[in-house]
Amino acid sequence: MKGLRFSLALAVGKCAQFAMRLLGKKATYLPGKLALRICPDFLSRIGKPELLIGVTGTNGKTTVSNMLCDLLIGFGEDPVSNRLGSNIDAGAASALLEAASLSGRCRRRVGVLEMDERSAARIFPGVKPNFLIITNLFRDSMRRNAHPEYIASLLDRYIPPETRLILNGDDPISSNVAKLNGRVYFGIDPLPFEPPARENLVVDARLCPICGEPIQYDFRRYNHIGRAHCDSCGWTSPRNDFQLISADRDTGLMTVLDNDIWHDYRMPADAVYNLYNAVAAVAALRTIGYSPEQIAEGMEKLQVVQSRFWQEQIGKWELTEIMAKGLNAVACSRNFDYVANAEGAKAVVLLLDDVFDEKSSSENIAWLYDADFEFLAGEDTVQVLAVGARCLDTRLRLLIAGVPAERITVVQQAKDAASAVDLSQCGKVFVLYEVYRQNQAVMVRNAIAERMRKA
Amino acid sequence: MKLEYLYPELGNLFGDGANMRYLRQCIPEAEYVETPLNAVPAFAGDGDVRFVYCGPMTERGQRMALPALRPYAQAMEDRVRDGCCFLFTGNSLEMAGQSIRTAEDTLKGLGLFDLEAHQDLNKRYNGFFLGKFDDLEITAFNSRFSHCHPGPGVDGFASVIRGIGLEEGCPFEGVRRKNFLGTYLLGPLLVLNPLLTQKLLKTLGAERTEPLFFREAMEAYTRRKEEFSDRRRKLD
Repeated sequence: MKGLRFSLALAVGKCAQFAMRLLGKKATYLPGKLALRICPDFLSRIGKPELLIGVTGTNGKTTVSNMLCDLLIGFGEDPVSNRLGSNIDAGAASALLEAASLSGRCRRRVGVLEMDERSAARIFPGVKPNFLIITNLFRDSMRRNAHPEYIASLLDRYIPPETRLILNGDDPISSNVAKLNGRVYFGIDPLPFEPPARENLVVDARLCPICGEPIQYDFRRYNHIGRAHCDSCGWTSPRNDFQLISADRDTGLMTVLDNDIWHDYRMPADAVYNLYNAVAAVAALRTIGYSPEQIAEGMEKLQVVQSRFWQEQIGKWELTEIMAKGLNAVACSRNFDYVANAEGAKAVVLLLDDVFDEKSSSENIAWLYDADFEFLAGEDTVQVLAVGARCLDTRLRLLIAGVPAERITVVQQAKDAASAVDLSQCGKVFVLYEVYRQNQAVMVRNAIAERMRKA
Repeated sequence: MKLEYLYPELGNLFGDGANMRYLRQCIPEAEYVETPLNAVPAFAGDGDVRFVYCGPMTERGQRMALPALRPYAQAMEDRVRDGCCFLFTGNSLEMAGQSIRTAEDTLKGLGLFDLEAHQDLNKRYNGFFLGKFDDLEITAFNSRFSHCHPGPGVDGFASVIRGIGLEEGCPFEGVRRKNFLGTYLLGPLLVLNPLLTQKLLKTLGAERTEPLFFREAMEAYTRRKEEFSDRRRKLD
């Protein structure tokens, strides 16, 4: 018996979805929000697919969800998913509404739900995925997420006991959540093309998750991602069930060791963070029961959406635009690392201020001091442009990081950024932008491109 | 002169490590000591330690740091009396009080201040803070799961202009006794407040009392102060 409230919520949600679609809207949030408002336990009551895969974590969950959806579609499934919309409870509710019949039964066999890691308390009581991928846990917005240990504790508390976990064995934080749940691990061997790890300001897993003594890293890729052990109690990073053992940029193939047998798959992208996403997707599909051959065939056609990365050679310059996720020090540091590893003289435009705080509050800039701006202090980074409302804070951060004052350009408004880039000094220009500043970034990028074309 | 960073493996959650990195840059002549969890704090055995910093921790970290620090509570009390500078930021402030009440139990504090902390992991408070420490305006940020109830006679670190104090309705933020400053404010407090840093450098007897990049720090501070003073801007 699903109840009157549920029936009303379902009807209102369906009507809202229909009306919004007529108006050309995506309807991926509001219908679910309305349904939850009417029936707070809507997520418990609505029908779920027979096979439901959840994807959560700080970084990479959107990419992994998209990969899984695309692969499942290639396998002939029609997965219900929230890939076009919100990843909080209202987004999950909207996706399930979409797939529900008028009686509330789910009409699809398979589902992939991206889940905001902070929303565990609101999603999991009602949604019990058969499998849950946790990509990693890092520091993120302190306002929303407090700290990674707090997020891990929420996941510990709310992940349903019957959910089987697919965990990043190279992450000492996320690999230790919900210890009583069944689990498999994935990870990546050190790869020959990886540059040596730089010192990061933030390494969140410094103490043993079991005894609290300091841990030793046998191999550290970045921040707390790597392989570690504890001399005091014997804890070690887990043996990975799915281990990427090689990635060949020439052939475009990656090799994954799985139950002591290796299998080759096409790499959807070759950046290490995307290899983690790819091996997470492979691990999930193998755990569900797809064969290596099926997955390999699916991955031949797989493409990672490159909306977060754009690059073009214009005359003698290379122009690159990368989404850097403001307030997220680790995501920014990964991009600073990428910029620092690029050879030759370069200029970097930083558009990292929070959009919402700029309008109505004042951004908490503490995260700037967790991000490795020190990577931008190399001599070949000939110009760094601190752009936007927080430009004075960013300038100070850059100075403290060791960037000489003469290489820092302060730009109050994004519209003036392109003309402030000194193209005479550099062969590469990078535009790093916070996710909600994509329009600004495109404007800046286009203006720089125009200058390059005219030069 | 020695500067001590107490439990850096725990007390660096929100860019707080920058306080010590910046201070080191400002006082290059000083010796810098990092004390890990199970080591004897330098301030407990070395009279040349003039500044001790401890930053915000996870809730688990706080449970580890308190028993590690408790044997040195008397030494800390003595050093405070001698005029040694202490800066405890974020929830490390709570350790200096009488107790920390959590959902499961009550942790005994170091007892330096008459403070009772209440932690609620279901309620997080975020917001910027503008206050006054002596004649200086302080700009900083709060992000916390807990509040402290101060007993009578507790002196605050800063009076509240905008934001919240030790608890809702409290007219002051943090605690202060001689050169011990404890505050819920977190992040790179010394970078955000060049005048406070200048005052600290004078108190410490540094050779150069103007903080590094003082002009640029003042420009950023002035803009932030204007924003924090603008009542149209929400605290969070």
